[in-house]
Amino acid sequence: MGIEIKIFGQLADIIGSDELQLQDIDDTSSLREKLISDFPKLANYPFVVAVGKKIVNGNQKLNADDVVALLPPFAGG
Amino acid sequence: MSEKKRHKVFVNGAILPNFIAESIAKHSSKKNIGAHDIFLGQIRNDIIDGKTVQAIEYSAYEEMAEEKFHEIREKAFASFNLSCMHIYHSLGRVKAGEISLFVFVSSQHRTDAFDACRFIVEEIKAKVPIFGKEIFEDETYSWKINTD
Repeated sequence: MGIEIKIFGQLADIIGSDELQLQDIDDTSSLREKLISDFPKLANYPFVVAVGKKIVNGNQKLNADDVVALLPPFAGG
Repeated sequence: MSEKKRHKVFVNGAILPNFIAESIAKHSSKKNIGAHDIFLGQIRNDIIDGKTVQAIEYSAYEEMAEEKFHEIREKAFASFNLSCMHIYHSLGRVKAGEISLFVFVSSQHRTDAFDACRFIVEEIKAKVPIFGKEIFEDETYSWKINTD
């Protein structure tokens, strides 16, 4: 299963792109593990995962058409 | 009496003082209003590791941010007695000394205006996916994180 991930702010600097496609990711916990294994620097930066524009608390199953985003701490205002 | 129509929150670059003045002037026809409260967020020239911030470059997860702004509006209208409410936030580069956030609430009485304005600003800072690059005078940058 391929999912598309939008990447924002500092996380895009670390990953080197503002978009990423990943295969065989079942849920948001495995997404987090996969990202940290591919980009070890991410372990030092707090971020949340949003699915369908809602922040995920805990773990959530991912489907192929989900809109997934990685969000660093907010800085509005 | 409530004005709940959605308008676009994000503006490109700084929010100009003239725009704020015109927004105030537009309310003179709404004579049931007795109190306006306005919050203006201004870019501060913080010094970080010896370097001075000259601008913040804002970006956002715009689709989610617009949804969050809408939720904040709905919550504010449900919690306070408001006649109207306007929120504007910058995207792109805003220089130190310029305005990046304009929250404008109007009510019959001051208490609702004061309380709603604070509520909205705190909600925006905590819940809207907006990101800021603090750009120093030598064009290097660091990423801003909201604190108290």
